[in-house]
Amino acid sequence: MDVLTVKHIEIIIETMTDIIIENEVPFCQLDSAAGDGDFGMSLAKGFREVKARSGELSRESIGHFLKDVGMIITEYCGGASGPIWGSAFRSAAKYSAGAAALDLNGIAEMLNCAVEGIQKRGGAKLGDKTLLDALIPAAQSLRISANSGLSISEASKLAAVSAVQGGEKTRSYVASKGRASYLGERSLNYPDAGAVAIGVIFTGISKKIEDILK
Amino acid sequence: MKKIINSPEAVVNEMCLGMERAHPDYLVFDPKYRVLSRKQPDKSKVCLISGGGSGHEPAHGGFVGKGMLDAAVCGDVFASPSTVQVYNAIVNNKTDKGTLLIIKNYTGDKLNFEAAAEMAQEDDDIAVEKVYVEDDVAVKNSLYTVGRRGVAGTVFVHKIAGAAAETGLELPQVKRIAEKVAENVRSIGFALTSCTVPAKGTPTFTLAEDELEFGVGIHGEPGVERKKITGSDDLAQKLLDMILEDMPLVRGEKAALMINGLGATPLQELYILNNSAGKILDQHGIKVYRTFVGNYMTAIDMAGASISLLKLDDETMAYLDSPADTPAFGLL
Repeated sequence: MDVLTVKHIEIIIETMTDIIIENEVPFCQLDSAAGDGDFGMSLAKGFREVKARSGELSRESIGHFLKDVGMIITEYCGGASGPIWGSAFRSAAKYSAGAAALDLNGIAEMLNCAVEGIQKRGGAKLGDKTLLDALIPAAQSLRISANSGLSISEASKLAAVSAVQGGEKTRSYVASKGRASYLGERSLNYPDAGAVAIGVIFTGISKKIEDILK
Repeated sequence: MKKIINSPEAVVNEMCLGMERAHPDYLVFDPKYRVLSRKQPDKSKVCLISGGGSGHEPAHGGFVGKGMLDAAVCGDVFASPSTVQVYNAIVNNKTDKGTLLIIKNYTGDKLNFEAAAEMAQEDDDIAVEKVYVEDDVAVKNSLYTVGRRGVAGTVFVHKIAGAAAETGLELPQVKRIAEKVAENVRSIGFALTSCTVPAKGTPTFTLAEDELEFGVGIHGEPGVERKKITGSDDLAQKLLDMILEDMPLVRGEKAALMINGLGATPLQELYILNNSAGKILDQHGIKVYRTFVGNYMTAIDMAGASISLLKLDDETMAYLDSPADTPAFGLL
């Protein structure tokens, strides 16, 4: 059965956490170019807490686990990252409430819910120079892969490529959300830190998925 | 920086503790989530919660009390409270009639209050509604900005929605009245000096001895333009021109007027500005139904003031007249 179980999701979040902590400084540097330079730090602050409290997280279902992660992120990530990333996890958790495992179709739908959770919060859309510019292409890629009957491993590799490309494309966008929006045209040529981070995170996760589903 | 503080990190907590000590009959402070709540909560009415960054004292904690707010959530100086702070304020102050959040229109406040509202609705089945205040006419609204800022006009929303809630109205009615106030209030401010954020320790901007920042925000955000300082009459004229251009009032209409100090301006000058504003409104035939002069929504230690004008109708007038009893706002 090609599915991700609670245990798999746990490993994926661990991987994500490690990537975010390792990249704290590079993510801040990316954000200093056009934003306010606190992105890597805000994100790492929340995920460090996830790591520290991993023993307390519910493993009852994928939804339970992601909800607990989301609560910690909401509470400990600083700035706008807390509500935005927290909403993504909460929406994903709502979709996967009670689920012991998800197939590719479910994973694609769950990521789509995460996108909707973020949009509900910040009101951003594709092209606004936010993390959604990487996350939406990744979610769309997963959806297409699911419809074409690819394996989870293949699909996550393709989603990571879409996320990286989406992050890179933000160089050509003018920011319209958050503090970078005050720079207007001056935000051109700098990629959005959140979108780049999604590419880095998805790349790391896809490698991990390949390992665990082998 | 010369301030009566112990350390920049402790400013918000120690201030809230000081407020609690000063007003033990009114306020209870929860240091974990930094929420100031009513000492004697009334669980049978709609709960009104506001808040935002600290540094605007007496807003918002000073308006917690009978006839106004039920709780105020205190962020760091000039920074939104976190989602979890707001969420806990909603849960710990919940009543039988639901909660109305009064949010000043800033990106951080909106994100955190909205996320908290969603959590309380979904996880705790609390009915939560939101009203946004965006009264600052110095900021032109457009598709490409996050909209106008919420400033001193927010206090009128606290007062009038608070009075409506106190009469036992249901959540949709209280929300409607709060929105009516928010739609009919306009404000604009100016700075004679900058404020100094404790964590930064130096002024946010500098003004020459003869300059003022016209249209300044309550966090020291730049305004419309930097001007040479003139007399109070001239200043009031320019401020009211901006307000009345945005919200025309016809002769005979009634309004409430607030002359709000930004933190370091003496009452003497606020009263002079009020005299100037009153004369101009008289010329326009606008009836000033009630006037409020004082520090309501400050920007720490900024010298300067703002003028807010609220267009009234019979309903809002009646609620404006209702009694209020809070540490920073009393009306018998």
